[in-house]
Amino acid sequence: MKKRVAIIAANGGLFDAYKVFNIATAAAATEAEVAIFFTFEGLNLIHKEAYKQLPLPEGKEQIQQGFAQANVPSIPELVGMAQEMGVKFIACQMTMDVMGLTKEHFVDGIDVGGAVTFLDFAKDADITLTF
Amino acid sequence: MKADLVVDAKGLACPMPIVRTKKAMDTLQSGQVLEIHVTDKGAKNDLSAWAKSAGHEMIDMIEEGDVLKFWARKA
Repeated sequence: MKKRVAIIAANGGLFDAYKVFNIATAAAATEAEVAIFFTFEGLNLIHKEAYKQLPLPEGKEQIQQGFAQANVPSIPELVGMAQEMGVKFIACQMTMDVMGLTKEHFVDGIDVGGAVTFLDFAKDADITLTF
Repeated sequence: MKADLVVDAKGLACPMPIVRTKKAMDTLQSGQVLEIHVTDKGAKNDLSAWAKSAGHEMIDMIEEGDVLKFWARKA
């Protein structure tokens, strides 16, 4: 049986995005079944507009250059790659309602669900991570 | 060593060497050999761990200057 990796993305900065998507794509590349539950600020990571320009932590703006120099893929590229490799994205319905967001605000191919949708996937997970 | 396919992941940062390697491996048949070229130093341990968890056999690894070369046989 495939390994299962369940990830909660609850923060919306550029660093958070790399932590989430690097682990997710690496896990998918290692034949794992991966789902990410995006909640609260974590929704920024799959928001059609926001994910193109996620903020760096205050005072760390100069690190932007480091990303370019290290030839690190952009977040939209990583999101596309993750989806291509079968990573499942679940956007938190409750957060979307609170923030007045609909499925159309997000990248294509996501699922919208509640906490139980994620928990149902996570209950059989071999690895569970929160970022 | 004779490889059936070569992946050039030089200059790419994590997780791209693993992603490229996985995609290339998917195109091979069981028993075929994949050769992987990387410059990401983290890939040295990463590729070995990847092969282990995916069940492939890591046959050899050499360093040529800044380039790391791996040979892995598909499970």
